[in-house]
Amino acid sequence: VTDLADALRGILAELTGRPELLSVPLATPLFGTAVGLDSLTGTLLLRAVRARYGVDVADEDVNLDALATLGTLSAFVAQRATPPAPATPAPG
Amino acid sequence: MAEPGRPQPVAQPTPPGRPEPAGGPAGRVKCVVWDLDNTLLSGTWLESAGPPPADPSLLPVLAELGRRGVLNSVASRNPAQTAALLQDPAGWPVEFVAAQFGWGRKSEALGRVAAELSIGLDALAFVDDDPYERAEVANALPAVLVLSPEDVPDALGWPELSPAVVTAEARRRASAYAQARRRQDAARESGQSTADFLRWCRTELTISPATAADLPRLVELAARTHQFNSLRRAAPEPELRGWLAAAGYRVTVLRLADRFGADGLVGAAVVDTTGSTPDGPQWRVQLLMMSCRAMGRGVIEALLAWLARAAAAEGAAVAVPARLDERNVPLRLALVAAGFRAADAGPDAAGLTWFRRPRAAPPPELPEWASVATAGPR
Repeated sequence: VTDLADALRGILAELTGRPELLSVPLATPLFGTAVGLDSLTGTLLLRAVRARYGVDVADEDVNLDALATLGTLSAFVAQRATPPAPATPAPG
Repeated sequence: MAEPGRPQPVAQPTPPGRPEPAGGPAGRVKCVVWDLDNTLLSGTWLESAGPPPADPSLLPVLAELGRRGVLNSVASRNPAQTAALLQDPAGWPVEFVAAQFGWGRKSEALGRVAAELSIGLDALAFVDDDPYERAEVANALPAVLVLSPEDVPDALGWPELSPAVVTAEARRRASAYAQARRRQDAARESGQSTADFLRWCRTELTISPATAADLPRLVELAARTHQFNSLRRAAPEPELRGWLAAAGYRVTVLRLADRFGADGLVGAAVVDTTGSTPDGPQWRVQLLMMSCRAMGRGVIEALLAWLARAAAAEGAAVAVPARLDERNVPLRLALVAAGFRAADAGPDAAGLTWFRRPRAAPPPELPEWASVATAGPR
């Protein structure tokens, strides 16, 4: 799950263009002001998760509770993921 | 459909008459993607001394598409330097958006056009003189309306290319997409949080009651929105007119502008304020919609914050019944981010999932770039 969380941090940092998200703590609310996930970045994140891990969060989780924090999202994906495709390196 | 492992389509000319797939809702095509050589241009660039002139028979077609609010894009195998040709304002009656150049399949180029414009593949038409290219796209992307250049003048009379309502916002759409492109580039380079970036853009949102003058744009917005449309359907003019006039209904519209340009009316909420639950009054949102080109600019967030605050000020709860599918996940994200939760019971008999905010939950703050007007603009 630690590797998975790091990979998800990489996705978040890449799609927002904000490298500081590479160190976002597991318990920080994603919809809160620190990360500021919105309908655009949230959609991009869900698409990236589905493409890389084959997990369709929106299909299974009507309230998107998995997006509460990086920790909940990592756990949700870890429970369902098929063997992940090789992760692309996080941007530096 | 192609079987797996059959990579190449059979090259064959589009059959005479109306190409498949036909039908679909009126005006479903939001963007026509053109080939260049021997389609938009009367010749082949790399075989000519200079860029060949535009095909004169297609210029009035482009102009008419522009008047209808249909965008125009390009998918060409020419090198990217060709793009300069498209930027000559004297040569073309419309602006081209999201143009694609280079080798690679045209179906992939069309996928990039759809992604860049945030529209579905079924909102694209593709025009190419080469029957192989048409077959490749028709095979890989059956949702795309595929046309030969000879089909095009005729196709202007087809429902797919005939939006029922064309507003000033729609006619401005091409330049709006060009603005959006500049804004996105600036956002990626800035590395700022969304809120900081919107502040830097000098974003201004104005929330006001709708007037009768807004009706055509509301009809168009309902017809064109998918990712942010709570009902996942169009609302015909009589239905919207009825909501505007109904006692106890409030139709609220949101206009957007920033340093890159004005977008006009990009979002709306139709609210029935007459309902109640055993706990007190409840506002029912009949229709919530936002243009996808306003995505990522704080619009849906501001609309939901306003809704929660306006209801709370009158002691009312807010319910948003929504028809959920894979297309309007962005709306669901916005609802959840604003503190709404879906009813545990799942969809009701009409297929609507009811999202509610707990009455006691403090409503989200309205961002400082949003202002609330008590009357519509004159």
